[in-house]
Amino acid sequence: MQDTTISLERRANPIKAIWRHSLFQAFLNDRITMVSGAFIFLIVVAVVFAPFTAPHKPDELQLDLRHLPPFSYGIATVKDTAARDVQEERYFILGTDHLGRDLVSRLIYGGRISIAVGFLGVVVSGSIGVFLGMVSGYYKGIIDDVIMRAVDVFMSIPLLFLALMVIFVLGPSFKNIIIVFAVARWMLYCRITRGVVMSLREQSFVDAAHAIGCSDWRILSRHMLPNLFTPILTLAALDVPANILTESALSFLGLGIQPPESSWGLMLSSGREYITSAWWIVVVPGMAIFLTALSFNLFGVWMRAVSDPLQRWRWLKATKESREAGVSR
Amino acid sequence: MRNYMIRRAGHSVFIVLGLMALLFFATNVLGDPVELLLSDDATDQQIDALRKQYGFDRPLHVRFGEFFGNIFKGDFGRSYRFHLEARDLVLERLPNTALLALVAWSLGALGIPIGMIAARRPRGMMDRIVNILSFAIISIPDFWLALMIILLVAVQFDLLPTSGFNGLGPQGWKYLVLPAIALCPRVMGRNAQITRAVMIDEMGKQYVATARAKGLAEKTVLYRHVLKNASIAIVTVMGAEMAGFMNGATIVEIIFGWPGLGKLLIDAIFVRDLPVITATVFTVALMVMVINLIVDLVYTWLDPRISYK
Repeated sequence: MQDTTISLERRANPIKAIWRHSLFQAFLNDRITMVSGAFIFLIVVAVVFAPFTAPHKPDELQLDLRHLPPFSYGIATVKDTAARDVQEERYFILGTDHLGRDLVSRLIYGGRISIAVGFLGVVVSGSIGVFLGMVSGYYKGIIDDVIMRAVDVFMSIPLLFLALMVIFVLGPSFKNIIIVFAVARWMLYCRITRGVVMSLREQSFVDAAHAIGCSDWRILSRHMLPNLFTPILTLAALDVPANILTESALSFLGLGIQPPESSWGLMLSSGREYITSAWWIVVVPGMAIFLTALSFNLFGVWMRAVSDPLQRWRWLKATKESREAGVSR
Repeated sequence: MRNYMIRRAGHSVFIVLGLMALLFFATNVLGDPVELLLSDDATDQQIDALRKQYGFDRPLHVRFGEFFGNIFKGDFGRSYRFHLEARDLVLERLPNTALLALVAWSLGALGIPIGMIAARRPRGMMDRIVNILSFAIISIPDFWLALMIILLVAVQFDLLPTSGFNGLGPQGWKYLVLPAIALCPRVMGRNAQITRAVMIDEMGKQYVATARAKGLAEKTVLYRHVLKNASIAIVTVMGAEMAGFMNGATIVEIIFGWPGLGKLLIDAIFVRDLPVITATVFTVALMVMVINLIVDLVYTWLDPRISYK
């Protein structure tokens, strides 16, 4: 009876436990990583709850308010419930675009697609790569040969060319962009997974699992997959910004997201004609892409550093030293 | 060594052919080439007529054989749009892409000394600045950077032309400057990062302590010993970047109106010009293969211990 109470008490405050965890403390100590982590959190929250966070409707045309510069007020004309025109004063923190649409709202709604493509692309390409890599490393033989030659072929052509080929055959749409990443980015996951699985395969816990009669599938999913978690996760964290950049490039070319849907790349390309008269239409989405990609990159590098025990020790030590010396990294 | 090179080249040929098979599969099996050519509102007669005209009514294996036969002959068919040989179109554009890539790549090599400066004192002030800046630089979308450059240099100050091409003529460099500047930062950032990382890694090794212990000047230690050992990784990254330029330049080529392979490919995709697409993809794959071969050769030159058998 007493045992139960103690264990309950131990579990009483998981938040405190996480807070005290050395990794979390390291995260808080590393200012740049913390800022980029906070930025990612902010963007994801803003984008997920877009209907609440966006100040105005992203597709509401106000042709009187075209090309308003950032930090400006404007009088918008809206219909009230009785369909009468009502004047309403609005504040546009990032200005308006060539159709008088609020750029903040468009940024938040466009970010939904950009961020979704970033994450979904990683999930899809990662799953395919991990699956093929596990099969390749575990069964070896001819399957391995075929898969590895396929990896060579796919890796031989630059990413954007591969993406363009897929879009050429399937046509541009949100779904097909995800397919692009499935086709064009599974190779690295496959190679890493194969390497890890091949080395794990020789270890005695796999033999033991075999001996007690585990099926191949069970060994792969229960015994090997957990060991893949860290290397795959770090690769994935660095793949998210790469995917966001690729999506914006495709959308910019007109081969990605199609209107009326919107993404940051598409906002950029549609603002291109107005670059001389209203620079903010181009600068704002570009900054969004840049800052998001930068945050993910910095965060991904931190993750890679702390997930490798040797590097983690070095990194934490250096962070601690610089904290004590009063220098921000 | 010679045997290795032959095997290595054979492998490259296999990869290029595999890629072409993939392209054939994608355009002929996953999608109907005639439907890819025509717009959605084409009538059945039009489709049938075109199918006959281009020979798409023949069985798949016949077309597959012809496709590969033609690749070996270097014949990709006539462009549907320009009514010229697709091969000639590609060969005309190839030097332009190569020129832009070479210039941007050479500018990007400036990242190596930057990375070296950072590595001299790990976690020092310079190191931190370089580290953050290099991450910032590789996170910038290059097409956005291109637009910003146009906005500042060309529109605000009217210094250089924003688009066009003048070959290697007397005024040709003017057109080359802006696209090259738009392309080089990412490469520079990558070079700085890899140089810094490898140099720091190498400096922790024992041969450095030995070299210092026997009284070599710090400069000699850094440039003679450390840099030489670090150069293998740097060459790998630089080779990958050169290969990447074959496509990385695409968007920048379009923004600056630079008549290179990337622009050719995008235009061909918009008008569904299959011969040009095939020829471009083939050429790019071939270029990537050649670059990878050169990188392999450079390895043996840099580190004689690497001998391919």
